[in-house]
Amino acid sequence: MITFMNNSDSEEEPCNERTSLMSAESPPVPSYQDGLQASQAGEAQAHRKRRTGSSRSPNNIADGETSDSGVPVREGILENEEEELTLKYGAKHVIMLFVPVTLCMIVVVATIKSVRFYTEKNGQLIYTPFTEDTPSVGQRLLNSVLNTIIMISVIVVMTVFLVLLYKYRCYKFIHGWLILSSLMLLFLFTYIYLGEVLKTYNVAMDYPTLILVIWNFGAVGMICIHWKGPLQLQQAYLIMISALMALVFIKYLPEWSAWVILGAISIYDLMAVLCPKGPLRMLVETAQERNEPIFPALIYSSAMIWTVGMAKPDTAARRSSQQAWDAAEDGRENHRSPSHADSQMSERRSPVPTRPITSFEELEEEERGVKLGLGDFIFYSVLVGKAAATASGDWNTTLACFVAILIGLCLTLLLLAVFKKALPALPISITFGLIFYFSTDNLVRPFMDTLASHQLYI
Amino acid sequence: MNLGRVSNEEKLELCRKYYRGGFALLPFLWLVNVLWFFREAFVVQPYGEQQQIRTYVRRSALGLGLWGVALGLWVGLFQSQRQSWGALGDYLAFTLPLGTP
Repeated sequence: MITFMNNSDSEEEPCNERTSLMSAESPPVPSYQDGLQASQAGEAQAHRKRRTGSSRSPNNIADGETSDSGVPVREGILENEEEELTLKYGAKHVIMLFVPVTLCMIVVVATIKSVRFYTEKNGQLIYTPFTEDTPSVGQRLLNSVLNTIIMISVIVVMTVFLVLLYKYRCYKFIHGWLILSSLMLLFLFTYIYLGEVLKTYNVAMDYPTLILVIWNFGAVGMICIHWKGPLQLQQAYLIMISALMALVFIKYLPEWSAWVILGAISIYDLMAVLCPKGPLRMLVETAQERNEPIFPALIYSSAMIWTVGMAKPDTAARRSSQQAWDAAEDGRENHRSPSHADSQMSERRSPVPTRPITSFEELEEEERGVKLGLGDFIFYSVLVGKAAATASGDWNTTLACFVAILIGLCLTLLLLAVFKKALPALPISITFGLIFYFSTDNLVRPFMDTLASHQLYI
Repeated sequence: MNLGRVSNEEKLELCRKYYRGGFALLPFLWLVNVLWFFREAFVVQPYGEQQQIRTYVRRSALGLGLWGVALGLWVGLFQSQRQSWGALGDYLAFTLPLGTP
């Protein structure tokens, strides 16, 4: 089932990300009764795991529907309040996303710095067949570009496959795939990780204890991610599997290919999410048409949104919306198809402030959550981890990349608040990260070294 | 998932499922059960199903304690006696520390 190339044992997953920041204001006026549709974000997972999330802002729908001539003044006031609410919630949600992204990066960087296994070259994945051990620079560049093309085309094929599966309602297949992926991530990769960490710290561990620990970790992880569990635990698990996936990528992607792949995938993300015929966009739109929740275990959400318990004609929708918000946190999963090993992760980042359904009788307090696809987590961590692993500037470069990614995340969230639809989370952050990496490594570090050696303090 | 927005029956059902699931060699699940439902069982104002939730939380805590003791004993035994066990010690070991003991 799993094909190996050299000693590689991991699969790469293409990640697609979409971030949709939807600001949802709870309308105090009963006429804004479109929360159900507005709060559903459709996400589809691409072959490897792509999730697209998009949620329509209730305001958009509401704007077209409401025509309360009797309360124009109130509408005006409401709009102002809603705008304020948008901004307030936007800042809070930025912070709510900073913490998990930072945690993921910290885990990855700490592992890279301490466990040598993840920086050793031990073969490559079959998705990057061209080696980088070439005599000339031009050849190396060509090989990395070819690797990137192969990788991105695998990702595109996966995404399109997933969109087709979703369109033709092959839900069982998709769910089975997701479960298989998370199984592999939670058990196999954790086993490898634990083994390497124990070897690094020279600790003796026996098989019975190890099996018990891994079994507990994996089983509770599956329960939390795919079923019901405490929110913080779900978030922690998603962060952990994102970190594991990022470590796999860092280990098995050759140097130059990794950077080119990062650049190419942010361009792909941009196109897939924003172009009218982009697969991710189609996925989201299909999910929204059907009013279905996104697949669980692919998106990290920072809060739970619950619908008010009012009489809903469509119990399925209610169940699905609960499920969507309950299992909003996703993990990247390594997905291996039975016939060939290739893991792609697609993550969609969709910050979705969900709005509980408001009824005439009860007005529930909104809990707005921001969602970010796990692919975003993974690729951010890959960038920072690669910087930590290979940069000559050591912590300078790592911190610079970290700050760059957070700035990009901030800007993306801001754009989300402005545009109110699904947006890709990768392009801005990865662009900043790449710029900062190369400039810090080649410009800032020699500068700082020279200053330090001449004892000049500025 | 937010417990505050779930009905009491669902809370009880969830607690019960977590309790039963812990019997599949999952003390971690019992730990999650105890931590998650502790507030519901002992701190919040009493409601109908709270008594049953309390029993489940107590039993989960008991099971967790037993598992903790057993695991602690086994790990202590293994770490201290591994070398004196010879071949069996190596067979049981997943990672062996390098260097002289």
